[in-house]
Amino acid sequence: MTNPRLGARRVLPVLCLAMLAALAVAGCGGSASGAADGKISAVGAENEYANVIEQIGGKYVDVSAVLSDPNTDPHSFEASVSVAQQVARADVVVQNGLGYDGWMEKIESASASDSRDVIDAQELLGLPDSTPNPHLWYKPATMPAVARQLAADFSELQPQHKAYFEANLAKFEASLRPWLNGLKEFSTKFPGAAVATTEPVADYLLEAAGIENLTPFTMQADVMNDADPAPQAVALQESFFTEGKADAFVYNQQVTDSITEKFLGAAAANGVPVVGVYETMPAGYTYQRWMEAELTALEEAVAHGKSTEAL
Amino acid sequence: MSLGFFVFAPGFWDNEAVHVALAVGTAVAIVAGVVGVFTVMRGQSFAGESLGDIGTTGGSAAALVGAGPLAGFVAVDVLAAAAMELVGVQRVRGRDLATGIVLGAAIGLAAFFLYLDSTQGSGNGSTVTILFGSIFAISSATIPAVVGLAALAVTMIVVLYRPLLLATVSPEMAAARGIPVRLVGALYLLALALATALAAITIGTILSTALLIGPAAAALRLTRRPLRAMLGATAIGIGAVWLGILLAYDSYHWPPHEHGWPVSFFVVALVFLGYLASGLVEWRRERGA
Repeated sequence: MTNPRLGARRVLPVLCLAMLAALAVAGCGGSASGAADGKISAVGAENEYANVIEQIGGKYVDVSAVLSDPNTDPHSFEASVSVAQQVARADVVVQNGLGYDGWMEKIESASASDSRDVIDAQELLGLPDSTPNPHLWYKPATMPAVARQLAADFSELQPQHKAYFEANLAKFEASLRPWLNGLKEFSTKFPGAAVATTEPVADYLLEAAGIENLTPFTMQADVMNDADPAPQAVALQESFFTEGKADAFVYNQQVTDSITEKFLGAAAANGVPVVGVYETMPAGYTYQRWMEAELTALEEAVAHGKSTEAL
Repeated sequence: MSLGFFVFAPGFWDNEAVHVALAVGTAVAIVAGVVGVFTVMRGQSFAGESLGDIGTTGGSAAALVGAGPLAGFVAVDVLAAAAMELVGVQRVRGRDLATGIVLGAAIGLAAFFLYLDSTQGSGNGSTVTILFGSIFAISSATIPAVVGLAALAVTMIVVLYRPLLLATVSPEMAAARGIPVRLVGALYLLALALATALAAITIGTILSTALLIGPAAAALRLTRRPLRAMLGATAIGIGAVWLGILLAYDSYHWPPHEHGWPVSFFVVALVFLGYLASGLVEWRRERGA
């Protein structure tokens, strides 16, 4: 039956050697840290965090973003080898937390390092793991906190450039003010504004602007988690359009599916303006300009009935 | 406050998603009943299961190019049926092996497509939808295609009925009477591919066999006559799908609140209960006889 020349006595030592080689390969790698040119190496799990890293770190920081393709759904992203290498080399890592980018934690524990600073937005804001909505960058409090922590970490890594990082922080905070003021003005200009949504992507923004979100969170969670919403939930959502309760329909512009298409059709049929919001920062924007643009799109919809499908 | 209020949760009869689900589910249950009886009689359950699983590749590829899953299921299942026919005839002994290897390769391809779906495409939820179905998310525009394909598969069985039955029960006698047994078998496999694709859109690629062979196997326990078995299988299938849709709709009010349990779970569970019940009937009849 078996080939006599391939006896166990010959094959087993080869297999043992192969296993030893595999162990040796697994043991090496991922030891280098820091960039060669004296710059701080930093990674943002999503490109909006990378953008803030860039604004604070400026010329002394090399930054890369793991997720920047606006067509990718971050919830179902799987990290590749090159991402693992970036993170293994990084001095500073910024991630969202709340399980949104759980793959980052897996990579970090796979290439453990004492010298790496991990800034976790969830931890920074002191939010419990049970927080249902993970899209923290839409929360007005998040990025100022992340920026302050970044300035502190960078100053510790390169104390000689402390003044530079602090100046960048002040600039960043000042440039966020138009958005923060705009949010406050929105709630006084349009009290009682209400919208229907698909996913909870921009819920923190809606909340900060005093806009009522008619869609129950159970349904938003179903769409976000790729589960089919119940027929009752779909009928309820459509009633917001047919009964004129929703001033606008806010949907995740990056992740569209048959259920989103269906609601877009119902909104159009009932003359409800639509606003496409982004899960990751669109190209050609900074974080603050992106947030301002989203708020402007909401205002155009609520005040003038004008749709904004894409930024 | 009538009993109907408790059985049918509010809004059941006005809900568009329910209407579409009932229409699609009925058409699919009829095809599955008619085709499934021959699947069980011919001992081709494994072929049905393989076709269902291979459909995953088509569904995930369709999602990648932005097409509906039905087109992908039908295209790949028909191709797979043709490939199985080619492989199966050459060497009967190697059939399980060849099917298993092709199945593995196809599912591997599906894993790749599903990865691309979630990383490159803007499609949402394709994995769960393809594997386990989502009958409430079917667009009403799909109904004509479903009904058309269902009618095609049923017509094929009706036209082929006599030669197919003889080729199934006694291939030697069929061949002696001049029936092209291989051609009939190949055409049957095509009808099976269509039935599997339709079942996949209802309850997903992995579960599609349950709807295909479950009602048929139960009906064949109750009667040995193929035509009666087809009617019985269709009735059991329609009952399972309708009741499954109703229970899934009502489950909106069960814990966890306002989510709704998957239709596929109810349909498959009901089919299984039907199979158990038919065994009970068979057992009592044999004891009485």
